[in-house]
Amino acid sequence: MSITLSRRSVLSGGAAALSLAAFGSGPVWAQAARLRFLWWGSQERADRTFKAIEAYKGVASDVSITGEFAGWSDYWPRLATQVAGRNAPDLIQMDYRYIFEYARRGALKPLDDYLDKSLNIADFGQMNIDSGRVDGKLYGVNLGVNSSIVLYDEAAWEKAGIEPPQPGMTWEAFAEKGAALSAKKTKPGFYASADASGVEPALENWLRQQGKALFTADGALGFGPEDAAKWFAMWADMRKSGACVPADVQALDQLNIETNPLTTGKAATAFAHSNQYIGYQKLNKSRLGVSSYPKVSADSPSGHYLKPSMLISVASGSAHPDAAVAFANFLVANSTGVEILGVERGVPASESMRNGLAPKLNDLDSVMVKYIADITPGVGALPPPPPPGAGELAFALKRVAEEVGFGRATPEAGGEKLVREAQTILKRG
Amino acid sequence: MTVHPTVWVDEVRPAAAPRRGTLRRMLARNAPGYLFLAPWLIGFFGLTLGPALVSLYLSFTNYDLLRAPDWVGAANYVRIATDDPKFAAAMRVTFIYVVLSVPLKLVFALAVAMAFNRGIRGLTVYRAIFYLPSLLGGSVAIAVLWRQLFASDGLVNMLLWKAFGIEGPSWVSNPDYSLYTLVVLSIWQFGSPMIIFLAGLRQIPTDMYEAAEIDGAGKVRQFFKITLPLLTPVVFFNAVIQTIEAFKAFTPAFIISEGTGGPINSTLFYTLYLYQEAFGFFRMGYAAALAWILLVIIALFTAFSFLSARYWVHYDD
Repeated sequence: MSITLSRRSVLSGGAAALSLAAFGSGPVWAQAARLRFLWWGSQERADRTFKAIEAYKGVASDVSITGEFAGWSDYWPRLATQVAGRNAPDLIQMDYRYIFEYARRGALKPLDDYLDKSLNIADFGQMNIDSGRVDGKLYGVNLGVNSSIVLYDEAAWEKAGIEPPQPGMTWEAFAEKGAALSAKKTKPGFYASADASGVEPALENWLRQQGKALFTADGALGFGPEDAAKWFAMWADMRKSGACVPADVQALDQLNIETNPLTTGKAATAFAHSNQYIGYQKLNKSRLGVSSYPKVSADSPSGHYLKPSMLISVASGSAHPDAAVAFANFLVANSTGVEILGVERGVPASESMRNGLAPKLNDLDSVMVKYIADITPGVGALPPPPPPGAGELAFALKRVAEEVGFGRATPEAGGEKLVREAQTILKRG
Repeated sequence: MTVHPTVWVDEVRPAAAPRRGTLRRMLARNAPGYLFLAPWLIGFFGLTLGPALVSLYLSFTNYDLLRAPDWVGAANYVRIATDDPKFAAAMRVTFIYVVLSVPLKLVFALAVAMAFNRGIRGLTVYRAIFYLPSLLGGSVAIAVLWRQLFASDGLVNMLLWKAFGIEGPSWVSNPDYSLYTLVVLSIWQFGSPMIIFLAGLRQIPTDMYEAAEIDGAGKVRQFFKITLPLLTPVVFFNAVIQTIEAFKAFTPAFIISEGTGGPINSTLFYTLYLYQEAFGFFRMGYAAALAWILLVIIALFTAFSFLSARYWVHYDD
């Protein structure tokens, strides 16, 4: 999900977008509608998206679409400034976290009137449609389904002769086996796992296994200081036993594919999003295996849920909302569009599209699709919408986890601190 | 070419004109002048003064970029002053950075400029090479290079191990040291003060040194008695500019920590915190208040520099 780009690829993408705008769109007077589409993601995603835009000319020759893209961290400032300047792109790639902020502030167009007319997403299933709803109205169309995932370097675990992470494995077993792998010292400075104590989706998964959550339905904090303390303590133990990387290695991880200790060769296991599997495999020489998250106990729920890896929304100020919705429909419910995008944005939510795509997938894609199919029977409900200001919690968690990691706070003090800060953040909104 | 005296007289007369002419006549008379100034004036009012005033207004509001700003009086300033631990952390980081990086950078730039001032061959080439880091400093490549140099298995630790047998920490990701790697990065970008120092050194007449030498003054004495006093206007200029730059430093920390200011806020520069508030958490009003506080701090520092200047800056002519 949070894939960051090199500046070079952003530049070349910008150049591509420019040249597309300059040469590719044909004479102005011939166009019925000119649309702008803004998304975040890697070069791979950009290539696929531009190809889909090109193919769309065959469907609606009177619509021209200009694509722009940025890395995750540059994307949100850019979108916010464009929306504030009343210059919002017609088509906006949305994240499950931000859709509430944008929809409630009136920046997005409700799409309910298009349902079953120009927007054919009935076979997404109720849950995948509802993941684009805010306060009962549809503001986003699911561009792909994903979940959390554990990725591991198959060769590294095999070489150490230790069983790699398996679905259903407990955290206790994970920590034990991790310590055993690190103890073998197959390479200097190599550890079994990245340190996920500061990774918000990992904490969320762990809380859900115990029937808790990051946030409650009424927007309060869904966990207490003792929960956070237990979480930090679990990782502190792993740090001590060598099962996970030390704090100064973890601090180099900017929570993206490129800087994760798995990719940089410091760890044999990473905690990620399932659609990132393709990106991780591209940057890792060794073959990566996949597993669901470890569990707090053998009979606890998996803690996983299926979420839209991203959504596509239409700006409320768009001059051509009908054309924009039609293009969104092309991306998710037209076999040509779906085939070009593949599963790089996650597994298509539409059952018929998924089935049509299955025979055309390569090995990597199939592993990811199979992973989602495997965990689906055990997933829980989508968490309640995050309250305003929730985005700041991820920053606070990372920082407090570092304080515990560097030994500047005990797990207990860290737990108290995190909850206190989170409550301040929520109160402020 | 010689200048005819009558040209001078003609040029002087218009300056006295406004006293006699009406405002309209004055405007008409100066219209071509304003026309030539127009690009700058439009830029100043449209891109500098206008946005600055809007930002002042926004600093008294809650503004999330998407909805209309909502007037809250001085609440943002009150919060900054009384209830914002991150503000204090960012202040601390920024002051340490300014206090360390500015003097060290100036000393380094002066040292290099002195070395260049001895009429070595191929000076322009060296000058260009040494100026390069200043051009590259904000780039992604340098951030990556810095991370590599100061990583636990980076070049710096390798040299420490080879030379002294010391096993160094991961400088860039350890909260005790990460800020200092950015100070080093700043010192490395000594190019522009160096060029200015070099120009200043060229201004010092060589006969002074010759006279001093005849009187038996050594190199060190010459430096402190001739070079430094005569260079003080340039030192002053560089100090003011570099201090302002250091307060505004953003790019290195943003790139090296990917905008987080981590680990544990150890590289949370003031501007980075401001940026997080504005674009990360959509608190544009609060960020505007932070920006105005920074403006006041920089203005105070600059005013203090100018006030102190009369005691140590020597203008010879």
